[in-house]
Amino acid sequence: MLASRRFSNINRKLPSTLQISQKPVFDNGENRAETLYLKNKNMKLLQVNDLRKYFPIQKGIFQRTVGYVKAVDGISFDVQRGETLGLVGESGCGKTTAGRCLLRLIPATSGSFIFGEEQVDLAKLTHREMQPFRKRIQMIFQDPHASLNPRMTVADIVGEPMRVNRTEKGTALQDRIVELLESVGLRSQDMRRYPHAFSGGQRQRIGIARALALQPELIVADEPVSALDVSVQAQILNLLAELREQFNLSYIFIAHDLSVVEHISDRVAVMYLGKIVEISDAETLYQSPQHPYTEALISAVPLPDPNAQRKREHIRLEGDVPDPSQPPTGCYFHPRCRYATDLCKQETPKLREVTPGVQVACHHSDTLELQGV
Amino acid sequence: MASTQETSYQEPLLEISGLKTVFPTDDGIVNAVNDVSFSIARGQTVGVVGESGCGKSITGLSLLQLVPSPGRIEAGEILFYRNGGDEPLDIAQVQPKSELIRQIRGNEIAIIFQEPMTSLNPVYTVGDQIAEAVALHQQVDKKTAHERAIEMLVRVGIPAPTQRVDEYPHQLSGGMRQRVMIAMALCCSPTLLIADEPTTALDVTIQAQVLGLMQELQAEMGMAIMLITHDLGVIADLADEVVVMYAGRVVERGRVDDIFYNPLHPYTQGLLRSIPVLGRTVQKTLPSIPGTVPHPLALPTGCSFQPRCPERMPECEQMPELEITSDGTQAVRCWLHADSAT
Repeated sequence: MLASRRFSNINRKLPSTLQISQKPVFDNGENRAETLYLKNKNMKLLQVNDLRKYFPIQKGIFQRTVGYVKAVDGISFDVQRGETLGLVGESGCGKTTAGRCLLRLIPATSGSFIFGEEQVDLAKLTHREMQPFRKRIQMIFQDPHASLNPRMTVADIVGEPMRVNRTEKGTALQDRIVELLESVGLRSQDMRRYPHAFSGGQRQRIGIARALALQPELIVADEPVSALDVSVQAQILNLLAELREQFNLSYIFIAHDLSVVEHISDRVAVMYLGKIVEISDAETLYQSPQHPYTEALISAVPLPDPNAQRKREHIRLEGDVPDPSQPPTGCYFHPRCRYATDLCKQETPKLREVTPGVQVACHHSDTLELQGV
Repeated sequence: MASTQETSYQEPLLEISGLKTVFPTDDGIVNAVNDVSFSIARGQTVGVVGESGCGKSITGLSLLQLVPSPGRIEAGEILFYRNGGDEPLDIAQVQPKSELIRQIRGNEIAIIFQEPMTSLNPVYTVGDQIAEAVALHQQVDKKTAHERAIEMLVRVGIPAPTQRVDEYPHQLSGGMRQRVMIAMALCCSPTLLIADEPTTALDVTIQAQVLGLMQELQAEMGMAIMLITHDLGVIADLADEVVVMYAGRVVERGRVDDIFYNPLHPYTQGLLRSIPVLGRTVQKTLPSIPGTVPHPLALPTGCSFQPRCPERMPECEQMPELEITSDGTQAVRCWLHADSAT
């Protein structure tokens, strides 16, 4: 078992042509791999197909299901190795739920997540089979005050993943903790202290060190900087970018702040009411958005530049995000869209590729001239 | 209701000078607000910007004598030029529980907070809560107060106000709740509205709605706004004048364009550089400010920003004064600009 784990570690660092042929090993020894193992290999680290998460609404003494909140309603995207995919949207759009489903912290209703060179569908694995993959996908949480156990020292917090997975022990573990702390910009003497002794930014660094402990390939970062002060936010963003280069990480960066997402992401997916409305590379998305919702979102961000702010056209969306248990007919965005036609009220637009690398779910994206930044 | 004020930026509404608000703690005295001076003219929007713990919220609370115990205003003046009064009133001298301050609170100076859920009472309908403020300050009967509440809900753009007036806060969305807060704050036509992070808890599209609403109501009713926020974008959008605070002190203040295009204090410069700006060429690294905000009980000697400052000099061991620059529009607390003062 140990040997095979070492193999898989080596494999990760080798280009695919040099890799030792090996099937994924499951802890229970069962070989379900045949069905899960897909032949073709590419640089895709993760491919999400039609992910759905419906939360039942239960009423009455028998808890009868009367409807569903479609928190994530059929989203598909992929993450390349070494890439940062930004997932942006307003509260309630399902971006956090999507992130949690990917880590199988909550079970998805349907959909598949094809992960790694092995092309394993994580959604189909049993809890036990999932374990070796948990090391390879880690999470960074939003609130650094709530995500660290106040009774554990920094060394305990950062060392816990390695102890639980038995990757390191004894002095090697201590050395590794020091190494991790230093790589996120903390000092080795900090390891004996408790989380309360640190500021928000430093706590977030501890959370990042913990996420890095098992040398993951993919990190899901859920609003990692939104609880931080402006001057500290920049430090953490820089750190995340550095670590990505250093450890060849891929990120799914979930945030509501469009400028932060633009800064860190290679590609950006915009979500609205559980669906992806637009996905493209960051520059194209911000310079020439294809979906009216993206346009409105960009326009709503106040620029820290008074002259530019005065000159801009401000698109003000009316109303609130609709209740996801009773979404509108047709395009979910049509009640707030200034370009909506009858077609938008009746037919739900599909996410389609308009130009290479740019996918958008709008009936009129070909005819609309939308404004970027 | 008072007629719309003639908005003239020269006419002062509030002059704060040398304000010092302290919190005695077991470990020592925290100077949450230390020697803060700035003024607000009638109809003007003054943005107060800074990071958490810089004292911007406590400054806002001090103006209404709402500083939570054991905090108190220790020194300084808050001169408030009331409507029809010849002599300004020094709010710093008014007792926090006096009848006088109660006449001012909600009536002449109103405040809205960040989290609209916790600032609304969950067991009363929104209509009752707005009507309470009206009944408290104006000699009107219950029915008129209720009608006034509906009228205010219309003005803040709440759809179906006659139904919404009888709903409870939990039935409203975050944006709606903040509109109700604004309705409550403005129902007595105050001359100053203190908005403490009014849109921080809201989504961007809802934030744009609420900020737009505040601008419209200001144009209509002519009140001055003191906008407390950490978001420089919101400041650029709304403010006429900007006050930048760091560790309890004003480090720089000036007109919005001067602060954004000609920042003088290294902290302001660092802050502006460290924020990712939408549409700017994506940079590999953001020029961040090293270190963290100092603990209020362990402030460095001299200038509070000096341990993080890229321009540190020997003089920085002494606290510089807030000095007005030669053209008289900007003030900065930094030794780099001490000699350029008049």
